[in-house]
Amino acid sequence: MKLKVLIPIIAVLLLLAMIVPTVIVTLSQQADGVTPPESEGEGGISISVQGPKIYLTIEALEGFFLGVLANPITQTTVTLLVATVLLITVAYFINRSLKKRPGGFQVVVEKLVNMLYGLVEDTMGKHNLKFAPYIGTIFLSSIVCTLLGTTQVFRSATADLSVTVAWALVTSGMVWYTSIKNFGFKSWLKGFAEPIWLMTPMNIVSEIAQPLSMAFRHFGNVAGGSVLTTLIYAALALVSNLILGWIPGLISSIPFFQTGIPAFLSLYFDLFSGFVQAFVFSLLTMVYVAGANPPPEEYTSPKGDEE
Amino acid sequence: MNWQLFEANFESFVGVNLWTMLFAWANLLIVYLFLRKLLFNPVKKMIDTRQGEIDGLYQDAQESKDKANELLSEYEEKISHAGEECEELLRTAQRKAQLREEEIIKDANAQAARVVKRAQEEVELEKKRAINEVKNEVSQMALDIAGAVIERDIKPADHEAFIDDFIKNIGDGQ
Repeated sequence: MKLKVLIPIIAVLLLLAMIVPTVIVTLSQQADGVTPPESEGEGGISISVQGPKIYLTIEALEGFFLGVLANPITQTTVTLLVATVLLITVAYFINRSLKKRPGGFQVVVEKLVNMLYGLVEDTMGKHNLKFAPYIGTIFLSSIVCTLLGTTQVFRSATADLSVTVAWALVTSGMVWYTSIKNFGFKSWLKGFAEPIWLMTPMNIVSEIAQPLSMAFRHFGNVAGGSVLTTLIYAALALVSNLILGWIPGLISSIPFFQTGIPAFLSLYFDLFSGFVQAFVFSLLTMVYVAGANPPPEEYTSPKGDEE
Repeated sequence: MNWQLFEANFESFVGVNLWTMLFAWANLLIVYLFLRKLLFNPVKKMIDTRQGEIDGLYQDAQESKDKANELLSEYEEKISHAGEECEELLRTAQRKAQLREEEIIKDANAQAARVVKRAQEEVELEKKRAINEVKNEVSQMALDIAGAVIERDIKPADHEAFIDDFIKNIGDGQ
């Protein structure tokens, strides 16, 4: 009964989430786009979507390597640190309270750990169970880094391309390492010339595209969610202004419509999307690594077996 | 070196910062090591240990059950045979008892016969003794009577042979 009511509401909200920003952006582009929301009445807003705030800049390094080394401390690093401390603290307390006869909370933890190991076993096979802790780590890190953004105190670390690229490169590194370990370096190199040498550039591109697509997928979903949220906040302020603008005094400057509505959208764009992206990232990691580490009886290299 | 602290500068929205990447790697490594040590391995080990214990318990229970069933069937077999065994036992006991009974009766008969025989012998002996006594008394009486009747001086030695002969004839006549 409740669901029957909720589903149309969510559907309408999602539709709004798609249409309203488009309209607003079009409107704001038409209306010069320079007037800030404070000078209301003109019907235009300016929205700036920015990357993580930089807390520390080393100017001496700004000239090198396109400036990739110039900003060591940003919002993202802070979020990563907080996520690390949070995860380790929680793990520490769980570890301390482990008992042979489990209480309610431990049952949940055990269920989740069992699910993780079950998933890894199903996806990667029993011989790859040693990867389960890493998969769990990347999943939890991703979720915590994404959800920390909903506090509005921190910025989602996964909305920074650097983080997702770093994580995706770890996956690729694992894939390459296991491939070379299982099939040998020569055999691994030969794999690039499969099925014919003409395909070599394509294979190299696909090998590079693998981590990039992982990184951009995760980054795009989380960052896109935050962009949408920003747009919706701006749009709701505008709507509020349009409807209540005629009231004299302070009331007209309070964006009432920003209350409540974004929460539902956040359910989808932050919570659901965050879980889905974390799951997808872990799943892709599992699939790629499992592909490089087949079951022991198939060790006769599937990549280059012409030898 | 010029440091710029806490100014509202922003990184580009889509861009890569090498420091952030290094930081992400370091954090991932630290989180991985800690979670593996504190969370995944202990919890998994706990689960596995408990599972092993439960499996062991179930196996023990199964073994006990199997053993009990085995014993039960053994006992049932024994009980089903117990009736026959009992009958057999009874039959043997009856036969033995019968034999013993016959033996006892035979013994008793024999003893009774012996007792009767001895009694008869004793009776015979007694009878003889009585007859002898009677003979003596009769002979004495005869002598007395003869002495009284005849009143003569009869010498007992002269007539004793004659009287004895007489009594012996009487005794033989019986």
